[in-house]
Amino acid sequence: MISQELKKVILNELDLDDFDLQDETMAPEVPGWDSLNHVNIIVAVENKFGVKFKSYEVLRLKNVGDLQKLLNAKLGK
Amino acid sequence: MLSNIKIEYVWNLLKYKPGDPLLFNTSLFLILFFFFLIVYNLVKNNKPARVLSLIIFSFYFYYLSAGYFTAILLVSAVINFFFGRWIASIENFPKKRILLVLALILNIALLGYFKYTNFLLQAISDLRGTEFSPLQIFLPIGISFYTFKALTYIFDIYYDTLKPTRNFFDFVLYLSFFPNVLMGPIDRAADFLPQINKEPFISKDDLGRATFLICSGLLKTVILSSYLEDNFIGRIFEFPLRYTGVENLFAIYAYAIRLYCDFSGYTDLAIGISLFLGFKIMDNFNSPFKATSIADFWRRWHISLSKWLLDYLFKPIQISLRSWRNFGNVIALVVTFFVCGLWHGAGWNFILWGLYFGVLMSIALFLQKPKEKLYKALKIHNTKFLRFFQIIITFHFIAFSFLLFRLSDLQIAKDMLSQIFEFFHGEVALQFVEKMPLIFGLIVIGFVSHFFPVKVEAAIKRSVNTLPLTGKIILLALVIWLIAQFKSADIQPFIYFQF
Repeated sequence: MISQELKKVILNELDLDDFDLQDETMAPEVPGWDSLNHVNIIVAVENKFGVKFKSYEVLRLKNVGDLQKLLNAKLGK
Repeated sequence: MLSNIKIEYVWNLLKYKPGDPLLFNTSLFLILFFFFLIVYNLVKNNKPARVLSLIIFSFYFYYLSAGYFTAILLVSAVINFFFGRWIASIENFPKKRILLVLALILNIALLGYFKYTNFLLQAISDLRGTEFSPLQIFLPIGISFYTFKALTYIFDIYYDTLKPTRNFFDFVLYLSFFPNVLMGPIDRAADFLPQINKEPFISKDDLGRATFLICSGLLKTVILSSYLEDNFIGRIFEFPLRYTGVENLFAIYAYAIRLYCDFSGYTDLAIGISLFLGFKIMDNFNSPFKATSIADFWRRWHISLSKWLLDYLFKPIQISLRSWRNFGNVIALVVTFFVCGLWHGAGWNFILWGLYFGVLMSIALFLQKPKEKLYKALKIHNTKFLRFFQIIITFHFIAFSFLLFRLSDLQIAKDMLSQIFEFFHGEVALQFVEKMPLIFGLIVIGFVSHFFPVKVEAAIKRSVNTLPLTGKIILLALVIWLIAQFKSADIQPFIYFQF
């Protein structure tokens, strides 16, 4: 389940008013989330939640659900 | 006496001949594949026999292209199979990384020795100003493709998105699978390995798709590629100063469509042949000249390579340099396209070709937001009008880049450009159409079929699908008859073999 906070950060970075982000949603399915913009989203999430991801942790993410899980693990949830 | 001659003839036909690889669009391949299909269908319900028969045919197919250097393919399989298991068995991440680096060094050393040694030594001796005579190093065909295939296995295990296979023969089959061992697509181990364990099931749709792909692959590689090359492109590129700017420009357009047809035609054949064996391998092209930007082009052209570079080179650099934001992106782009150029060949022209795209993509990165604003202000954002001009402009950036791709002698590229800009003679265009209607017609057919709307293409595929089996066989026979009419000369080798 994608939290409202994470959804807000992602949509804000992509200049989207709304988009149905599910656990299985993959980056190319979201308008504007391309390989060049990907890095901006990761940095925005790190800054918003005050966490630091390791490179390999980011590289193995397959979908938004994986990002949520990684974030939860960093926040100790 | 007669039987001796016959045996010798057959032996000569079936043994390795340097510089004469077995092409999918030759009668010898079609005959061998036909007999192999009979054997395969007899054993396909027994997994060990199925895998073994595929490995034996794949190695024989590769032997016909590389001779004794087929052993390199086996060496690569052994190295990567054991490194895959080793990396997966270790929990400690820094140790995993050391093993990944070791595996990378071994793979790059193998590829580098055969492909780049002479280029590197030449560059060093040029710097020193000394004479250099190239070493006699054989370049095993397809080494760039199967090395990159093996590395998808290693990287995915390292990122823990793939479990290593326990079966060495499964991995050998993945690496040596004959439809894509020589020229891709660079299929992912994660997609291929699970298919080995399933009993091959060829649905009616698969059969229809395979027939369509084999027909289109034959038409593209023989008519639109080889015929245009032999009868038009080759002549202009050899002596551009003998022709006007119009002819030079047409040759550049024709070369763009020839390169696409050559490579995507081979891919069509590879995917079609795989389907006959019950395997689905990844697609490599998606109408690349419909691209509206350079980035879009690389999402549509040689997809298996561009996705490889994106996942295993661009993203790691980009993520490591993420605190630099767009400048990190620029470094990642330039490095990625430098490697892309170098992967295509050991020559400065390939490096320049790669860097050209790295620079173009970097500029586009900084222009993206101002461009969007401008389009919105002009109210042309997301319009067909804008799309049309974006496609035309992108196509010209791509078509002219292929001059670097083809020509190691930059003087010829300069001559072609000078003819186009200083000796154009537009009136020659009409004469060209009048004197060379077949050539002009083929160029037009190439582009028109490329720009078919998706719906039309889908309708053609559906109609092939609905043909009964005899109809499919008749269609295939018709295509083979047609290409036989066009084979005016020996078949040109596929351009992508040299990589």
